[in-house]
Amino acid sequence: MNNANGPTGLERFINGILPENPTYRQVLGMCPTLAVTAGMAPAMTMAGAVMFVLICANIMISIIRPLLKPHLRILVFTLTIAAFVTLADRFLAAYMYEMSKQLGPYVPLIIVNCIIICRCEVCASKQSVRAAAADALGQSFGFALGLASIATVREILGSGCWFGLRVLPDAWPGWVVMILPPGAFLTLGLLMGAVNWIAQARKASPA
Amino acid sequence: MRLQYIKEAWLVLVLGVFFGGALAGVHYQLGDRISRNKLADTLSQVPMLVSGSADSEPAQVGGMLVYRAMDEAGQTLGWVLPAGGPGFADRLELLIGLDARAEKITGLYVLDQKETPGLGNRIVEQIWRGQFKGTQTDRAIKLVKTAPGENQVQAITGATISSQSVTDIVNRSVRDFRAAMDEANK
Amino acid sequence: MDYVTSLILIAVSTALINNVVLHYFVGICPFIGVSREVGMAVGMGAAVTFVTVVAAALSWVLTYYIMAPGAPLTSWVWTLIHPGSQAVVDLSVLSYVVYIFVIAASVQLVEMYVRKFFPALYKAFGVFLPLITTNCVILFVCLEIMKHVSGATGPAFWTLDKALVYAFFAGVGFAVAILIMAGLREELDHCDVPAPLKGPGITLIIAGILALAFLGFTGVDKSLADLLR
Repeated sequence: MNNANGPTGLERFINGILPENPTYRQVLGMCPTLAVTAGMAPAMTMAGAVMFVLICANIMISIIRPLLKPHLRILVFTLTIAAFVTLADRFLAAYMYEMSKQLGPYVPLIIVNCIIICRCEVCASKQSVRAAAADALGQSFGFALGLASIATVREILGSGCWFGLRVLPDAWPGWVVMILPPGAFLTLGLLMGAVNWIAQARKASPA
Repeated sequence: MRLQYIKEAWLVLVLGVFFGGALAGVHYQLGDRISRNKLADTLSQVPMLVSGSADSEPAQVGGMLVYRAMDEAGQTLGWVLPAGGPGFADRLELLIGLDARAEKITGLYVLDQKETPGLGNRIVEQIWRGQFKGTQTDRAIKLVKTAPGENQVQAITGATISSQSVTDIVNRSVRDFRAAMDEANK
Repeated sequence: MDYVTSLILIAVSTALINNVVLHYFVGICPFIGVSREVGMAVGMGAAVTFVTVVAAALSWVLTYYIMAPGAPLTSWVWTLIHPGSQAVVDLSVLSYVVYIFVIAASVQLVEMYVRKFFPALYKAFGVFLPLITTNCVILFVCLEIMKHVSGATGPAFWTLDKALVYAFFAGVGFAVAILIMAGLREELDHCDVPAPLKGPGITLIIAGILALAFLGFTGVDKSLADLLR
């Protein structure tokens, strides 16, 4: 079903995963990408939380989009997102307490995560609920992909584990710098360079 | 023009009230569970810190919040002190187990730390923490770099400051607790 | 001396040792986006510092008097409705929603104030102010204040002055990081950066090396504390 105003739901969904990947193409939501990717487990928990908030916020904003006023719309977006983030945060504290402690202040920081506000602005406030939900799903998968790629590199090189399971032999010294802040920046920078290089190579050669 | 903003703000206010109510409902449902999680963190360690204890309860001793470890009959077997202080990278939170008269340390547990992985964060290892068990509280514990003697603890190689921070926190808290107990018993 | 010592330690620790950008990863989006020229970086840093201090003051007051468990104002209202009740009123579940309002209000306040009284300053950094509503640094500062006010006792509890010092130096830390990055990127314009790394890629790699450098500050606050004791 083609909306007269913008891409269809399916197009939004597919775009979100690779072509408009929030981490590598749009360069949004950097804060959790760097902060929680020291291991796969916290990274995937964060991806799950962002998915929940993004889908709920997109659907809600899409439902109330006829009522939005131009001057105050950002405030309405952040208000909606803040409510859902509180929900996600409380749920984590109640049912996954250890993980909640590990993620720390980064769950509430989802409120100002540029990805969610950007999707609300670009898609949810303008398109139907179906398109908004598909967009949210696609972008969440893209974000999860971004997080997983960085977390894999950092966890394997930093501690020889993946999801807490040992994958490299014990003789691996463990590059502690990967788990510390510099490792986060360097990994993301180099991976971004790699993605750009692949994208350029594909554009150069006629596919 | 400002009046127009205020008129447009009705949606924000309605949403605010709606979400406020929803969140209050969430708090009502999950609040208990969350506070129990927080308490369980501390209480679950008591049997390990004061061996043989069957139950524990919070207590106020001279203004300090501590936990009293009891056996089945309700007799005081020992005390568990929450303690904290600056570590190498960030704040350290510890639990110190003491015997009933606060004369010996019966155990040490690290609740929260953000030390360097692989170096400073080895303070959580049982082998290192176990050194504090059995130390006397009437004098300060000393940190040494070689084989430890009486009332001494060996530092982790390459993590002297983290080890020293833990030792300092333990010495300070135990000293404060002993003073508080003497005050309360007077 | 003890009081001044604790303030100095908060200041040094926040601005340098646990730098909000290079250690806690907040404010990365403007850090990458606005660090191309030193002039813009100065403007952004100043704007963030101003708004953070205002937002921190408002958050502290609201958290301490209304939202913390057992807060004075809410307890008083509760005893008016249910006289003699011993229940501890805890409104902290509304914290995030309230902080968002506080930040939006602070941005508006700072913008109105600066536009009216310092028009030259407004021309310098006024354009950044609407962008700051979604800046992680300010929300992070509010969350830290909540952590040290809601349910904290003894030395972990922050009075209003400590919270303001923390907020100011968090802004300063952000400004220092973004200024260094802007200076470096201005130099980079004369260098031959490989095409895939142009833009965010090289900025992140430089940020990584900067973070490595700032790692050298770890432990300074503990030594300072021992020195000043």
